[in-house]
Amino acid sequence: MTAAEPFRILVVDDETIVRESLGGWFREDGCKVDCVPSSREALRLVAENRYDLALLDVKMPGMDGLELQARLAEAAPDLTIIIMTAYASVDTAVRALKQGAYDYIVKPFDPDDLSHLVRRAQEHRSLRSENRRLRESLEAVATPESIVGTSPQMRRVQELIASVAPTDATVLVTGKSGTGKELVAKAIHAGSPRRLNALVTVHCGALAEGVLESELFGHEKGAFTGAAYHHKGKFEQADGGTIFLDEIGEVSPRVQVELLRVLEEKTVTRVGGKQPVPTDFRVVAATNRDLESMVKEGKFREDLWWRLNVVTILIPPLSDRPDDIEPLARHFLDRFARQMNLKDVSFSPEAIVALKAHPWPGNVRELQNAIERAVVLGKPPVIRMDDLPFSVTHGGAPRITGRKLEDVERGHIAAVLSETNWNITRAADVLGVDRGTLYNKIQRYKLERPASV
Amino acid sequence: MSPSALSPSALAFRAVGAIAQPLLRDVVTRVSRMVGLPCRALALDDEVRTASVVGRKQWDADRLLAELEMRAEALAVPPIGAPGTVLVGLAAEDMGNAIFTHFFGRARIGGGAVVVSVARLSPTFYGMPDDPDLTARRASLEVLHELAHVAGLRHCTLPNCLMRLAHNVEAIDLRGGAFCAECASRLPRHFLAG
Repeated sequence: MTAAEPFRILVVDDETIVRESLGGWFREDGCKVDCVPSSREALRLVAENRYDLALLDVKMPGMDGLELQARLAEAAPDLTIIIMTAYASVDTAVRALKQGAYDYIVKPFDPDDLSHLVRRAQEHRSLRSENRRLRESLEAVATPESIVGTSPQMRRVQELIASVAPTDATVLVTGKSGTGKELVAKAIHAGSPRRLNALVTVHCGALAEGVLESELFGHEKGAFTGAAYHHKGKFEQADGGTIFLDEIGEVSPRVQVELLRVLEEKTVTRVGGKQPVPTDFRVVAATNRDLESMVKEGKFREDLWWRLNVVTILIPPLSDRPDDIEPLARHFLDRFARQMNLKDVSFSPEAIVALKAHPWPGNVRELQNAIERAVVLGKPPVIRMDDLPFSVTHGGAPRITGRKLEDVERGHIAAVLSETNWNITRAADVLGVDRGTLYNKIQRYKLERPASV
Repeated sequence: MSPSALSPSALAFRAVGAIAQPLLRDVVTRVSRMVGLPCRALALDDEVRTASVVGRKQWDADRLLAELEMRAEALAVPPIGAPGTVLVGLAAEDMGNAIFTHFFGRARIGGGAVVVSVARLSPTFYGMPDDPDLTARRASLEVLHELAHVAGLRHCTLPNCLMRLAHNVEAIDLRGGAFCAECASRLPRHFLAG
């Protein structure tokens, strides 16, 4: 209960003295209380207001408290219900509890008992709300559905995640930097039976060999200078959950050997320790490097590659799936607008054209940054082309010269071709014509692909 | 202070039932040291009407409070009394109502009276030796708590504040004898001594 939002209680009892006594008692305690004499009025109030707790008398004319409880369970499933009765009937209490009542209390109430009961109900409700919020945020953060994209390539990625997530199979996520490999790892974990346990992430490329060893496998006290205490490694921390090994291609040959052993034996031996510790983890690894080539070059162990490469999910670069640019941009716009409490934010048509025309070498991460920057520095509610950190004439595109219609068309086609690095499919998409038409226009206007593109 | 709160100007104490006069005087003295209001004990010239809770050997606290509030109206009219005079009833018997098993005290925000039962405040209620000093101390703190309700205060969540809800004597003893700064600031300026 906070000062801003008082605990809201509904008291339903046909006896005036009960309503007056309980109403006054709860109000003295800072609660917001409504008291009504009948089930019918209670249902009306619950339909119009939000309550945290309802105290229902069992014996009331018309609909009794237990029937009201069943109706409230449908109308307000989150409502915590306490049954009040003047008769300490075990049958009534059992029925109420079976129907989902939080507890029951017999009149007259010992103030101490009632106070404890209501406090426990408040805690119970607050824990339930917290649990629901956490579950929702977990589901919102990473599910196959949260991987935004409508292109056939991303649909395939979403299907793969949905298929592989519920299993314990090791997954290797590949793709260029900024394509969203970590989000895929989170979605796999969130869709697995391990989701209630930890997802432990290790950025292998960011750590020196010795530090990475200690991070992954842990160390015993005195294992090396500065090891003042024993330390559980990431594999142990991921017990029951998932370990996400990001940038696995950067791991040194020595650590590769250790990793292979841990993956095969499902036990870790801490640095400086002798006793293997069993741990139950699932591995999701990611890399932006071509591990197969690294294996051929002898830079990555073949046996480890096979161990990791049970299921591979390749995330294509954004430039290969232009259909995803607009939904992704709208997704990020919604997210940042929500964070900044902005309403009805949208893109201008020109901004959409510019977004689709940009090559996005930094992939989804670059798009995300561009939208965040536009929301922060631009002039919402409408994000215009000028708000984006690039423009359609960026990159030395030919300027439009002349006033004739065909001069304007020639200049515009040249600009779009320049923006799309002469990717005919994307340029045709941006221009809204088919590839054949675009080829004809290129020939007609004698447009030539620059040597550097 | 809520709009319906009363700003007490004086306190008139009276016994309800078989209250020992030394205990009443002790409570008046203690309360008068804590509040900045004139306090006096009324002479026992009549009996306050009491009623029992059906089926229990207890006085009905709500009916007793209503009776005292009615009597307080007369005290608030000159020349008998002064506007804002609150009648404090010290009850000898245990109190409850049809809904609650017991009350230490009862008051309404803006009401002209408070009632505090000494029955459960005395160690004898729990089979322990009598301790009039302890009983008087608990009773005077309960009077102060209920008076603050009359003045518009609700319960406080701070453990040491006198406005914290207490359903047993241990809680009364633990919460101490002073209002927290927030509650003190909400009381009328002349309410507290000093």
